Amino acid sequence: MSSDLLAVDGVWKRYGDHDALRDVRFSLRSGEAVGYLGPNGAGKTTTLKLLAGLSRPTRGSVRVQGLDPVRDRTRALRHLGALVETPGIPPYLTGADLLEYVACVKGVPAGDRRAAARHAAEMMNVADLLSRPFGSLSTGLARRMLLGAALVGDPEVLLLDEPTLGLDPAARHDLRGVLRGLSRNGLTLLLSTHLLEDVQEVCGRVLFLKNGALVGDEPVNLDPDSGLGGTRRVVRLRFGSDVSVESVARAAGSAFGVTLDSPRQATVRFSGGDAEQGRLLAEVVRAGLPLVSASTPEPDLARRYLERVGREDPT
Amino acid sequence: MSGQVAAFAHNARWEVTRLRRSRRIWLLLIPVVAGPIGSGIADLYLRVPSSGTAEVLGFLITAGLAALIVLDLTALAVGEDLALRTHYLTLALPQPRASALAGRLGVVAGGSLAVYCAGAIGVAWLATALVSTSANAPTPILVPAHLAVGMLGLLVFLGGVTAAAGIVTRSASQALVAGILAGVVAAGVGSLFLIQGHLTWLFPEALAAAGLVGFGWCLVQYGRIEV
Repeated sequence: MSSDLLAVDGVWKRYGDHDALRDVRFSLRSGEAVGYLGPNGAGKTTTLKLLAGLSRPTRGSVRVQGLDPVRDRTRALRHLGALVETPGIPPYLTGADLLEYVACVKGVPAGDRRAAARHAAEMMNVADLLSRPFGSLSTGLARRMLLGAALVGDPEVLLLDEPTLGLDPAARHDLRGVLRGLSRNGLTLLLSTHLLEDVQEVCGRVLFLKNGALVGDEPVNLDPDSGLGGTRRVVRLRFGSDVSVESVARAAGSAFGVTLDSPRQATVRFSGGDAEQGRLLAEVVRAGLPLVSASTPEPDLARRYLERVGREDPT
Repeated sequence: MSGQVAAFAHNARWEVTRLRRSRRIWLLLIPVVAGPIGSGIADLYLRVPSSGTAEVLGFLITAGLAALIVLDLTALAVGEDLALRTHYLTLALPQPRASALAGRLGVVAGGSLAVYCAGAIGVAWLATALVSTSANAPTPILVPAHLAVGMLGLLVFLGGVTAAAGIVTRSASQALVAGILAGVVAAGVGSLFLIQGHLTWLFPEALAAAGLVGFGWCLVQYGRIEV
């Protein structure tokens, strides 16, 4: 049995004489957090609509937990949370009304619905606003309430379409934190966005979509020089006075590749994660080198986006 | 099957919440209260000659008010979410769509018919209490009991047309206009049949059947909506 929670297999979607999606295929395994990047009109939202059962593919198949989200809607969507585009909510309804309705439809027992709604609202930091009508909420707060609706019932799969749209910087930061936390706890996430920062911070894998076709499927974090997937990490070290490449290389050890960018700056490449990076910094300090700061270079996701998708500028 | 029933029940409750929050629920009082009171005042003011004529007048007033309610509530139940794009959220929920909409329509259409019936009972009681039939009173133009039941057919027709129009136009306001136009046509055709002496049970039965077809078509199409 496949462990793919979401599967898009050879999907075409045609509107009139325009192909919104062209032979798109990808799958998400349980617990994966995947970014879905592409310019306006690339077909990101169309893909999410297919996965959420809001639309049918013209050709190909879409599966959510192995089930067709249109034909077997009740079972396929039971553990799925989705926020596609920006649904408008009648202004007289309160957040509690909406979230409790979603809880009810998702099969949360009657006695637990209020708690489930509150829990979801707390994740989005809008629990205090549950009793307020949507008409009195700002765009950003309404958006957070809608994100809360997608989180009701602790879904196993989450489809989010531009989730940070309209959110202030603090709310964006909070949302990314929530998504990272949910992802660590096993949530499968497909995040469609224009914001590369969202993908960089939340996702482990990224899909690039251009003119309805998938043009890239790769890990988010790549060694900028390798062009291949992997767990290589790059750290830039800045020193208070001039150092030599030999002194840094000797301190770092043979597992670390050192190049000198300038007399006071070195770039170190290595395989590994936080533990190896900590060991590197400890060794450099122990060797008496005048280390001032250590940073990871600018992410290369923007560069890769432009390479895969073209000159339509990402945010 | 239990999923269909559950979706119907969840959404019937959801519609009640929406009616309550929007305060549209108060509209349901109008046929019950204003129907009998309005027709009672008209009975006294116009000095209608018989309780039968008073009933006919009262049923027409009450059904007219109920028609406005069924038009408004049905148009909003179908068209409001489609116009606001609330369905981007609700249609992605794990429930059979047709049953979900049926639950909402059950509340608004059923509620409108129920309040018409309650208003009609009030009218009949007041007409008997307020008007005494004079010996030379003319026969009412319609049999009151027949009119009272026949009006249910008109209300079902208006609800069905409005529901179907809500799917076609994806707009509550345009669905409302379509329902009003349908009501005008139905009233015109009914009047014509009455003048020509051809008004029989067939007319309200045909209206009710057309309304049920409209509701059914609306539910089927709602299940197929693509966004």
